[in-house]
Amino acid sequence: MKKSVTAVTAAAAAIALALTGCSSGGGASSDDPNAEVAFWSFTGINAKDGVKEYLEKQPDAKVKLTEVGSTTETATALTAALAGGKVPDLVMIQNDDLPQFVANSSNFVDLRTLGGDDVADGYLPWAASAATAEDGSVVGIPTDVGGLGFAYRADLFEQAGLPTEPDEVAAMWSDWDAFIEMGKKYTAATGKPFVDNIETSVFFSTVNQVSEKYYSPDGELVYDKNPQVKDAFQVAVDTKDAGISAGIAAWSSGWAPGRANGAFAVTVAPSWILSGIKTDAPDTAGNWRVTTVPGVGGNWGGSVIAIPARAKNPEAAWQYIETMMSAEGQEDHFKKSGTFPAASEAVASEAVRAYTDPFFGDSKIGEVMATSVEKFPSFYNGPDTTPINGALLNTLVELEAGNVTSDKAWTTGLEKAKEAIGD
Amino acid sequence: MSTATATRPRSSGKARKAPKAPIQKARRIQNSLAERIAPYAYVAPFFIIFIVFGLFPLLFTFYVSLFDWNPIGEQTFVGLKNFESLFADGRFWNALLNTFAIFLISTIPQLLLALFLAHLLNHARLRWANFFRMALLVPYITSVAATAIVFAQIFDKNFGLINWVLGLFGLPSINFLATNYGSWILISAMVMWRWFGYNTLLYLAGLQALPREMFEAASVDGASSWQQFRHLTIPALRPIIIFTVIMSTIGGLQIFTEPLLASPESGLTCGAGRQCQTLALFLYEQGFGQFKFGYGSAIGVVLFVIVVVVSLLNFYLSTRTRKAR
Repeated sequence: MKKSVTAVTAAAAAIALALTGCSSGGGASSDDPNAEVAFWSFTGINAKDGVKEYLEKQPDAKVKLTEVGSTTETATALTAALAGGKVPDLVMIQNDDLPQFVANSSNFVDLRTLGGDDVADGYLPWAASAATAEDGSVVGIPTDVGGLGFAYRADLFEQAGLPTEPDEVAAMWSDWDAFIEMGKKYTAATGKPFVDNIETSVFFSTVNQVSEKYYSPDGELVYDKNPQVKDAFQVAVDTKDAGISAGIAAWSSGWAPGRANGAFAVTVAPSWILSGIKTDAPDTAGNWRVTTVPGVGGNWGGSVIAIPARAKNPEAAWQYIETMMSAEGQEDHFKKSGTFPAASEAVASEAVRAYTDPFFGDSKIGEVMATSVEKFPSFYNGPDTTPINGALLNTLVELEAGNVTSDKAWTTGLEKAKEAIGD
Repeated sequence: MSTATATRPRSSGKARKAPKAPIQKARRIQNSLAERIAPYAYVAPFFIIFIVFGLFPLLFTFYVSLFDWNPIGEQTFVGLKNFESLFADGRFWNALLNTFAIFLISTIPQLLLALFLAHLLNHARLRWANFFRMALLVPYITSVAATAIVFAQIFDKNFGLINWVLGLFGLPSINFLATNYGSWILISAMVMWRWFGYNTLLYLAGLQALPREMFEAASVDGASSWQQFRHLTIPALRPIIIFTVIMSTIGGLQIFTEPLLASPESGLTCGAGRQCQTLALFLYEQGFGQFKFGYGSAIGVVLFVIVVVVSLLNFYLSTRTRKAR
């Protein structure tokens, strides 16, 4: 059956190409490392700077960069290309979109064939394992990770009589119960919500501080049986019940104004979100601090770079990866663009560790992020991880809106997750 | 050689029995062949493009809907299983309800408003009429994305303009996106804003084609403005009204961009509880968000059937009213 389907698809594609006068360029795949690399990236990750650095290091190389769109749009375009269109030589994939590509790893070059069996060894173990298929083939090389910290308003903390120094704050909210207690104090003193929302700031942090998430290590779905997931979810529900959440969802229309006007004092802060706070709330410069999240470790975001199996110039694409994704390459790129590295040596480097920003009161951002990704537990993510995540997050939004009650939230979340993954 | 022979070669050739030289005859056959093919060649580009980008994808969607189809992995034939699951899927019925609710809430007031505005703009003594007519098109040419961002800000639950005004009167703020009704109103407002000017201009064009004397005669006879509207404007505009209703139906049932952009925080569901997810957005979520092409195609097939049925119903009602006249 599958064969005839492919034949129909191919025939359809051939007709479409013939009729519209397109051509797929022709020419067999090339071994020339300086052949032109067709590179698909997404917006917001400074891909242009990366290419510029690459051309400085490899002056004879040629790169044709396309910033396809958002991370999701890029994944959609890649899916369409893999299904029967013209594929790029090199492509960036964001971690949330990664599992379904890893599950169909035959669409990509196993990078062990180009870089040896230890090709993924120098990277944070959990980041590398996310890009490794069940049969051991390496689909992608981690380019960056998100890290996780909390950003808070030191000026508002001071008004509420809470400590303001990042180390003191981190010590005070060492676990989530303490975090909720602090929130109650803040809200009692100021009459204002403590944290922006429970779904991204709380649940997204807690659910990633587990040793096993929605899948067991051997790839079986356990999201409904795993007590760690239920506990992580319960922390978010408790935060809501404590009355310390503003109920302002990330990227909702009230989020940017809320960051600027003090509608909440704490928000989740992976490294790539920090520039957004600067843009949304320029008048709060110097009032924000960044410190470690309650609990242990965390990460939000990050991406890998991969070579599709049908790429025309895999050697040239590999040269880009080899040059730019080495620990040294990622450290250089961090210095120029602030993209947080995924190579272990780069994470440990002085440049990353010592990074601070006056907008955030010279908090030790580099140290916070580096520690969070080093402590981040490695667990198995499968193709349904993202839909389950979405279902549980949405249930918490519904809880904040009053459409679901606290005691029914967990069962509702499970129902929604089941619906989302059911065929 | 007359033009009649050129356009009707067969009959004229039979009518005249006069002997012709063989060469001339051959050329005539050649000419007539080219002439017969030419019209098809002229319309061919449209049909080729239609077949490639319209008909083929449509038929292929029917085909894909019978599969469990992962675009980059396995494709297994499952028969009608996708449709079975679809009709048992609460999310589908929710999307169907949302689609019709948004369609009705946005279309009916919009067309009434457009009719009324067209009537006003057609008034002989209106000053700066051209300015108003031009201004009506501004929402239509504004990008939907910009409209969506502005409307989302206006309807925001914490810092939105509407809730600020409610607050001035001591009323509690409304979380529009959290309820079905609220989000339907938000989406409908965006749709109305975008299309009311376009429909007004269509009606206005229809009105301007009417003889002014008709309205003048009516005023001389003492008909009030409302009577003129009711007994002259509406009957005269009937064909255009039918056209706008059919176009609004086709567009309204496939509404996609507004719900996609109204609630960026909840991804492709338009509200955490799918409060304003329409069928088209549900299709996109399943097909391109979760890469279930088979299931997405099944939604597409059902949406296609719904649009056809509703359009036929429209057509039947409109022809019946025409006959009744």
